[in-house]
Amino acid sequence: MYRFVITATTSMAVLFFIFFLTVAEAVDPAESWQKHYNLWFIISIIIWLTVTVPLVYFVFRYKKKREDEDGAYIEGSTFLEITWTGIPIIITIVLGVQSWALFNQYRKVPQDAYEVRVEGFQYGYEMIYSEGIKTLNELRVPVGPVKLSMISKDVIHNFAIPKYKVREDMIPGRMTYQWFLAKEPGEHMVYCAELCGPGHSQMLAKVIVMEKNDFNSWVESYKIESSALSPEERGKNLVKNLGCTSCHSLDGEEIAGASFKGYYGGASILEDGSTVTVDDAYIEESIKNPKAKVVKGYDPFMQPYSLPDEDIKAITAYLKTLK
Amino acid sequence: MSNEEPKGLKAWLLTTDHKKIAILYLYTAAVFFIVALLLAVLMRTELLTSDKLIFGPKLYNVFFTIHGAAMVLFWMIPVLLGFFANYLIPLMIGARDVAFPRLNSLSYWFYAASGVIAVLGLLLPGRLDIGWTGYPPYSITTEANTALYIFAVHLLGASSIGGAVNFITTIITMRAPGMTWGRLNLAVWGFFGAFIIQLIGVPVLAAAVTLLLFDRYLGTNFYDAAQGGSPVLYQHLFWFYAHPAVYVVALPVFGIVSEIISTFSRKKVFGYTSMVVAIMIITVLGFETWIHHLYVAGVANWSRVIFMWATILIGVPTGIKIFNWLATLHKGSIRLTTPMLYALGFISLFTIGGVTGIANGLLGFDIHVHDTHWVVAHFHYVLALSMTMLCIGGVYFWFPKMTGRMYNENMGKLAFWITLLGSLVAFMPHFKLGLDGIPRRYWSIPEVYSSMMIISTIFSYIAIAGFILAIYNLIVSAINGEKAGDNPWRAKSLEWSIPSPPPFYNFEKIPVIEEGPYEYGKPGS
Repeated sequence: MYRFVITATTSMAVLFFIFFLTVAEAVDPAESWQKHYNLWFIISIIIWLTVTVPLVYFVFRYKKKREDEDGAYIEGSTFLEITWTGIPIIITIVLGVQSWALFNQYRKVPQDAYEVRVEGFQYGYEMIYSEGIKTLNELRVPVGPVKLSMISKDVIHNFAIPKYKVREDMIPGRMTYQWFLAKEPGEHMVYCAELCGPGHSQMLAKVIVMEKNDFNSWVESYKIESSALSPEERGKNLVKNLGCTSCHSLDGEEIAGASFKGYYGGASILEDGSTVTVDDAYIEESIKNPKAKVVKGYDPFMQPYSLPDEDIKAITAYLKTLK
Repeated sequence: MSNEEPKGLKAWLLTTDHKKIAILYLYTAAVFFIVALLLAVLMRTELLTSDKLIFGPKLYNVFFTIHGAAMVLFWMIPVLLGFFANYLIPLMIGARDVAFPRLNSLSYWFYAASGVIAVLGLLLPGRLDIGWTGYPPYSITTEANTALYIFAVHLLGASSIGGAVNFITTIITMRAPGMTWGRLNLAVWGFFGAFIIQLIGVPVLAAAVTLLLFDRYLGTNFYDAAQGGSPVLYQHLFWFYAHPAVYVVALPVFGIVSEIISTFSRKKVFGYTSMVVAIMIITVLGFETWIHHLYVAGVANWSRVIFMWATILIGVPTGIKIFNWLATLHKGSIRLTTPMLYALGFISLFTIGGVTGIANGLLGFDIHVHDTHWVVAHFHYVLALSMTMLCIGGVYFWFPKMTGRMYNENMGKLAFWITLLGSLVAFMPHFKLGLDGIPRRYWSIPEVYSSMMIISTIFSYIAIAGFILAIYNLIVSAINGEKAGDNPWRAKSLEWSIPSPPPFYNFEKIPVIEEGPYEYGKPGS
């Protein structure tokens, strides 16, 4: 017994050491995740076969031979019970230690990470860069480690980047963070992975990874570019980036709200039966206080947006172009 | 009280007989099961294309809310703790009824009323679109009628607490002479563990939704971050019950599997004591796992690590049970009846659900797949395939006892294989979607997965057709089935020693118990 305890403790210590090392080697959590998955997958296949092969074998081997036959009278076996308690405990510890080490990588942000603040809202993301730039639903980052400091403006959202195998919730009143290693330039999807309302499935964004030089010149050119756009073009970007098209289609299809196609200048029947013309004032009111005049047949679940007047004018200008 | 059994509709509605109440539970739960299956058909059909096919995002959110609530709260838990526990516990421990028959009746009516309120959430304006989890702030700011959901949970909670008090008392105080703890059926042990979880967990869930009610309608700020509250608090309180609720379902299912495996192997359950210890370990450990639902909710890092260990350690007692079932089959005399097929299918499929559950519990692993279709696939393997199918198997097993008639064996087996094929294939694509990081609760899945979605939808129809066939077989056999006799399985458990269907008073004379329920092939007997 004494010798057993010593052996068990030593081998545990060795296991801990090995697994911390194997995962700690890689600096990219996404890579470590793949290793962790591979180990889990092999173990799981073995477990499933260990259960299913004997199961099928016993069913054929011990099929009843006579109607009045009974099975052998066996109460149990302490040796077997210890075996199939002990081995699963060891497997659990091996997987658990590796997972723990991986988690530490996920939570330990490299010193040189480029930091961006991300604010979630129904239904989109606003990225706020230290250079004083803001973008909507488009996270531009230089190659290298990136840290996201996240918060939500309304309900709980999530910022999931499957390419880098990270996700963390965005919660009102609580800053959360995550980091990933952007290895090479490219564009990757971002999903909201926490139910946030009817627009949940359309709460999408992109991570655009750029070479360091390209990123720097994008930062420089950003302000000049945005002021050079016409109101219609600015409105088009706003409608896209604010996530309006999650509920309001541009091609006449009914989703959860009225389609923007041919919307401006038309007439809508309200809940109380009265009619309203879609003009500048109605659009402004519907953005700032969507519940004031709800069109019949739609549920009033749109949230108020507090946009600057110039943005509302730009959106209105854009809607006029959608005949 | 007279020994005459009352008859007619009034006798059913006003009954305090545990067997009649159990059957009321079964009928009611079956209705919610079918409602939830219909919603599943609608959702799967919508997912055939990535564009809007029939109803779009708003109704999709309503449908998965009611589908989840109906399956977990109004089908799985009631069919196990309302139907099986009610019908079997007094018969298995040698009692004439439960400790508090009228409380038992009240529990049923609270449950039925609660289910009706939840279905109103589907039909009335302000349809519930908050998910069965109902996380604030969304459940506070949405236009949906959150109050309906809260009232349904309150009523159901009252029903559950009443049931838990009733059956824990019954098991402790009403066992027949000689029915020691070591001679109890493993099903009774499973129910016992489940009711302990209900008694401790449900009040916390009730508190969680009560605070939600106050926040939404009375202007309090428990979950409002802007006023110093915390929306994450709700998640802690909710999952403190809602995760152990999984074991409320699992423990009775484990018990029923043991009954079926032992009866149709004609062999004593291998390692009875370790089976009981495993049930009790899961009961206790189940309360230390809830933070795995908050792995990406910004909670303290150390708390995620602690709860990971508790979560994955649950695999150990679960493994003990699986290996003991295998050892029970070894050197048995195996009869492949319909219930046995369901039990064997359960073991194989539950293992898939189990190992993917370990994956979810592994903290580092989960960070990539949290709230994705991986989770959807996992819990459908556990709840839809293995446990719901096993419940059907359990109904088949005790069907001759309840009705005195035999079901149609060939149709029963056919229904099993159809459901198995359907659900085995239907949820496989979701593992792939999850590994690619596609979040759950999306009404529109990216176009690239359209062929997988079509496969998933077609096989989900097949699975549901199998369930419907299994239920149809039961209904027809209850009316026309051949007479089965009192003990068609030649089982040794106490409930098979009395006539089928059992008389109003269960036991003419309270039996004196001399051995456990699984003494098959005992030398010298």
